[in-house]
Amino acid sequence: MMPIIDCDVHNDWSTAEVLLPYLDPAFRDYFIRGEQPGPPGAFPHAHRPWLHPEDFRRHDIQPKTEDEHYQFMKDHLLDKHNITVGILTGEEALEASTLANRYYATALTRAYNEFMINEWLPRDDRFYASMIIAPQDPEGAAAEIRRLGSHPRIVQVLMSHGSYRPYGDPFYHPIWEACSEMGLPLAIHLGGQGGINYSPIGSGPMTFYWTTHALLCQPAMSHLASSIAHGVFEKWPNMKLIMIECGVAWVPPILWRLDANYKALRKETPWLKRLPSEYARDHVRVTTQPLEQPKNPEWLHSTLEAMDGKNTLMFASDYPHWDFDDPTQLGIPKDWRDNVFWKNALETYTKIKMPASVAAD
Amino acid sequence: MISKADKVKRAKKHFNVGSADMSHGEKRIIDIDGKRIGIFNVHGEYYALHDRCPHMAGSLCGGPVTGTALESSHGEFVYGKEGELIRCGWHGWEFEIATGQCLVDQRTRAKTYAVTVEEDALVLHI
Repeated sequence: MMPIIDCDVHNDWSTAEVLLPYLDPAFRDYFIRGEQPGPPGAFPHAHRPWLHPEDFRRHDIQPKTEDEHYQFMKDHLLDKHNITVGILTGEEALEASTLANRYYATALTRAYNEFMINEWLPRDDRFYASMIIAPQDPEGAAAEIRRLGSHPRIVQVLMSHGSYRPYGDPFYHPIWEACSEMGLPLAIHLGGQGGINYSPIGSGPMTFYWTTHALLCQPAMSHLASSIAHGVFEKWPNMKLIMIECGVAWVPPILWRLDANYKALRKETPWLKRLPSEYARDHVRVTTQPLEQPKNPEWLHSTLEAMDGKNTLMFASDYPHWDFDDPTQLGIPKDWRDNVFWKNALETYTKIKMPASVAAD
Repeated sequence: MISKADKVKRAKKHFNVGSADMSHGEKRIIDIDGKRIGIFNVHGEYYALHDRCPHMAGSLCGGPVTGTALESSHGEFVYGKEGELIRCGWHGWEFEIATGQCLVDQRTRAKTYAVTVEEDALVLHI
């Protein structure tokens, strides 16, 4: 049976109060007595300007207890689909990026990382994890990356794609530097739309959730362009940028546009030595979910070929969200399956040790 | 790359294209039987380029003679090659006047011709 590395598995909670034992005492009162964005147990964050009209979780999966969150994941994802490795991406902790108080934001992500290490990783040998950072606090984030970066099961650093400014900006270079030092890819995941972060939609907020969600690839375009243009892959050649749940099919045309403009205006970024698309090929990896579904699958396939999708795409389910991609339904060319379902992830996340049964194959 | 002497030797036609009174950074565009050619002085040497950009056939020599930001590390801007580059009039690709070499693409080169100075006159060999 083909192994599967699922690069976007959400380990949710029923109440953010699970973080309390891990939260720096200096901030515990903020959480307990301070203003909350929802009922008790809501994770402190600024909210988006639109609300999912049906909630963003799958309705067939409604865990109540913390144990059920794991048990349902085991039943509906890990066991059902024979997932070999699931990379945990947290849930609301990403939204710490929306808070103006960068110190509180970092304390919250730090509490989340400890919670995840202590209460999720021990549950299943199939788990590897992302550590979450608050990017609006680059120095605090860098310290957290160095604190946890050598953990054997932490395979990447994760932040929301909603942001204060594009992630190639030198403001964020302490984060890139710490990731490079620890040998961890830097990942962005859809989220963090609100608070101090710029509207993720270029013309201002859309009216409806479904149109917004379809257009949430926009900030990822900025991060891709910014990371390349600011030369982070020249400065830290071991770095990889992972784009999770940011859409896929837009990547080639944006790279074509970047290549064309770079050829005309290379003098703006004289530190670059290659075309933007060449940096992307070597340093950017894109997870599949939600993979676009055109009427004719060939249209998608030729687009994905243009980004060397066979070597740059990594499977993700986004369990347990409303736009979950089932591994049995993924619309990629047949001869890409081994690469996309596990080999590309294994090459990207070098800490992952596949089970002996897989290694033997 | 073919040497200037070889280019002169191989050329089939030779045209007097005016007096050799240009200075560094100057350009002169001439028309020979409908073919536009740019004549340049770079640090006292004369060069000629076909006024046709290998990118999209735009007016290469219609752009400015310029310098550019040299390869550097992040956040550093080192200006150099002043007067040694032509920036295509259409899309702005930069080329070395002396060699026709495109700065962003090693595989792209503009067509060059030899220019010699003969008794204060510029002679173009094409």
